[in-house]
Amino acid sequence: MLRALRIYGAAALLLIFVAFPLYWMAITSLKPQTEVFRVPPTWLPERWTLEHYVELFLLTDFGRLFLNSLQVCLMSTFMALAVGILGAYALARLKVRGKEAYGRMVLLAYMFPGALLIIPLLLLFRQLGLTNSHLGLSLAYLTFAVPFVMWVMRDFFASIPIDLEEAALIDGASRLGALWDVVLPQAVPGIIATGIFAFLFAWNEYLFALILISDEALRTLPPGMMRFVSTTDTNWGLIMAASTLATLPMALAFGLIQRYLVTGLGAGGVKG
Amino acid sequence: MATVRLDRLHKEFRSIGGAVHALRDLTLDIADGEFVSLVGPSGCGKSTALRIIAGLETPTSGRVLFDGQDITGLEPRDRNIAMVFQSYALYPHMSVRQNLEYGLRKRGVPREERERKVAAIGAMLQITPLFDRRPRQLSGGQRQRVALGRALIRDPAVFLLDEPLSNLDAKLRVHMRAELAALHQKVRTTMIYVTHDQLEAMTLSDRIIVMNHGVMQQVGTPEEVYSRPANRFVAEFIGTPSMNMIEGTLRPEGGRLLFSAPGITVPVPPAAARQGTTGQATLGIRPEDISLVPPGTPGAIPAQVTVSELAGAERFHFIALNGHSVIVRTPAATVLHPGETVALGLDPERLHLFSGAGEDAAAIR
Ligand SMILES: Nc1ncnc2c1ncn2[C@@H]1O[C@H](COP(=O)(O)OP(=O)(O)OP(=O)(O)O)[C@@H](O)[C@H]1O
Ligand SMILES: [Mg+2]
Repeated sequence: MLRALRIYGAAALLLIFVAFPLYWMAITSLKPQTEVFRVPPTWLPERWTLEHYVELFLLTDFGRLFLNSLQVCLMSTFMALAVGILGAYALARLKVRGKEAYGRMVLLAYMFPGALLIIPLLLLFRQLGLTNSHLGLSLAYLTFAVPFVMWVMRDFFASIPIDLEEAALIDGASRLGALWDVVLPQAVPGIIATGIFAFLFAWNEYLFALILISDEALRTLPPGMMRFVSTTDTNWGLIMAASTLATLPMALAFGLIQRYLVTGLGAGGVKG
Repeated sequence: MATVRLDRLHKEFRSIGGAVHALRDLTLDIADGEFVSLVGPSGCGKSTALRIIAGLETPTSGRVLFDGQDITGLEPRDRNIAMVFQSYALYPHMSVRQNLEYGLRKRGVPREERERKVAAIGAMLQITPLFDRRPRQLSGGQRQRVALGRALIRDPAVFLLDEPLSNLDAKLRVHMRAELAALHQKVRTTMIYVTHDQLEAMTLSDRIIVMNHGVMQQVGTPEEVYSRPANRFVAEFIGTPSMNMIEGTLRPEGGRLLFSAPGITVPVPPAAARQGTTGQATLGIRPEDISLVPPGTPGAIPAQVTVSELAGAERFHFIALNGHSVIVRTPAATVLHPGETVALGLDPERLHLFSGAGEDAAAIR
């Protein structure tokens, strides 16, 4: 009983710690300008308003930033899944010499700090004409998205009974056919879970986006919102509205796919 | 329909820890329509052999031939085989119907023909009512049938089964065994069956291949393997309870060859004696070949009963015989009590002699 209390207590503390900033952000975005700076602050807006949201779309380029981000993140997520899944499957199943060493190198690449990668990447992308391009930025995101997908999906594939694929091979499927017909349907939860994580990485990424894209029209959300802070003379209501909108899709996605996250990331370890 | 020839198959699994020699020099000819079983203890290489035939594993050396054609390098899908896995390996996200159909679909069989075949298999295996269920919603026996159906539907040249019955409860296993035998009678496809259950192998097969440590120990009909085991390993592996083994020596005496161990001396049957082997040897005798005889019968061996077990229609008696322990099989009506002294008679015609004491001690006959 006491134990349960302690656990719930700790969970509640953690929840407050994590959720309070989100709550404050959402609430502030719904307060009129005059209420934002009131001391003492109000816990709920005295007067609810959407004025900041209207402003956001009428006076700033938030809409475009959002769409740019969406495009880059979707592209990089799909590329990461396509490449990462094939790689992970090869690591999990094929008999290739040096497979283990390669697997460890992939993990190393994943842990490599992005800040160290960005300068060489910038030089390389300049040569290739990939700066100021959404494709270029998505490719840059693959540097961490692909190792991540490979790492998680490899364990996931390893947990799927090999008999299933062998049965498919005997039934007349090719390797890729067996992967597509039999393995991937089993791996859907894992694919959704890793896909969402890969998407989130990209969605939140700031440094690469800042350095690889200087064209105003192509800019994505994180650096775009940063500029917001200075250009709008720090209109907090507006910034909070932008932040809320930037967070909302993620919160929605997490809410909808929670089921997959649990089974997805758990399935690598425990055979269900 | 096809003949299968395994030609000096070797398989070595190399890993960081060293190499496992899973299969050594396996050569075997299987006739068209024959039912052969590979039996042996766990790890003896049965599955490896089957998987090489299926193309799921590449042999380190050696060849596999179907109808005289070398298919060693072919992909599994190009071999026209079907396989039933121990785990059944039914596709979990497909209905029973889709599971059955998958192989036909992959081979581009037109829809009407697929439907006709699925219906025929469903009727044959009585699984039609299950067609719309997922594998998860089936019992073990039903899954087994679906797995069989999925393999049968393609009319394969060779049918491979890796311990297909071992996940079923005892009663269902006996039932499915009979069905499998009937099925083979009906379809007459070459079947290669892997099991560690020698009883399954005995009841189903035209021929049995006994393996140990990757080496083929004996090939023969169930009758041959049972009554004329090639070596001590086969003798002990085939038959339950196991053949009794007594280690001793062979020595000539008075123009005859005698086997002797502490407390036991038996004359060697003339056929075996002609080989003239002497020295260390092992005497083998099946539990049903030892009889209880009236005390004082010439040649009878006195012994003490340790335990008696009733096993339905028969009884197994564990009997101490001068430091050896033997099992004797009798009808259930023969009741013996622990501590009782009995006289045992050994049928000289049914003795097995092996030269040496190890597993690979060859039969003398
Ligand atoms: N992929 C592999 N890598 C390394 N060693 C293997 C591999 N597959 C099998 N072996 C080894 O080869 C030997 C034979 O294995 P195999 O699976 O053929 O045995 P089996 O006779 O089918 O046994 P069981 O009755 O337990 O299924 C065993 O020692 C096993 O450990
Ligand atoms: Mg096996």
